[in-house]
Amino acid sequence: MDLQSLLISSLGILAIVCAAGSWLTRDNFYSALYMSVAMLFVAGIYASLNLQPAVVLITLVFVGAVGIVTIAVAATYRAKTSRRVSLVWTLPVLFVLGILGYAYIGKPIVEIESAGMEFVGEYFLAVIFLISMMVVVMLSAIRILRRVGL
Amino acid sequence: MIIAIAICLLIIAYLIAISARDLVRLLISLELMFSAVFLAIIPLFSISAQIAFAVLVITIFTSSAELLVLITAIVITDRLRKGVEIEKASVGGDTV
Repeated sequence: MDLQSLLISSLGILAIVCAAGSWLTRDNFYSALYMSVAMLFVAGIYASLNLQPAVVLITLVFVGAVGIVTIAVAATYRAKTSRRVSLVWTLPVLFVLGILGYAYIGKPIVEIESAGMEFVGEYFLAVIFLISMMVVVMLSAIRILRRVGL
Repeated sequence: MIIAIAICLLIIAYLIAISARDLVRLLISLELMFSAVFLAIIPLFSISAQIAFAVLVITIFTSSAELLVLITAIVITDRLRKGVEIEKASVGGDTV
């Protein structure tokens, strides 16, 4: 397994873990936060494939606009018991995930073409700063909510 | 591998949707479903980058608009029905 496949696998596993955290947490606010972080990992997969325009669009439009509004809505309508997990579903889900893991774990990643999309390449550092700023904003939101005691 | 990650995200999003007790959780599950869609577009980049990028842009903006409309609907539902629980949402007389 080469470095790119390892990076994509790691980012994918982190995205799945964050999505599972979004499912398992009882608080809507933290669920929305986990969902936003999972989105950032999905954008990271695009970044590891050198598709920076897609990274900018996903982080700016989807995470930056819709994700933050979702976090605001979730912080407004927080509920401690906002899920009802049925353990009956766990077995078929694990079965499907096992089949997927068996079928796809050895598949190589296809060669991705990014010709004609280089307009963000020189701004890669700015994109990194943008993502860092969004993480800081999310952490600030958690701190403010904890201070207010919502 | 990317398709497997996308399907895993989609399954988790479906699990969130069927275990949701309020509309905010449904919104979160929809956003996760769209993230799975974004991942599923990646193999298209190996065929034609321009077409795949156009599909991605259209997907991002239509899904963002749809989710913003859903957020507005949640706020309106809260105003009209005094809550965002699943039991309070009904369409055409059928309880969702």
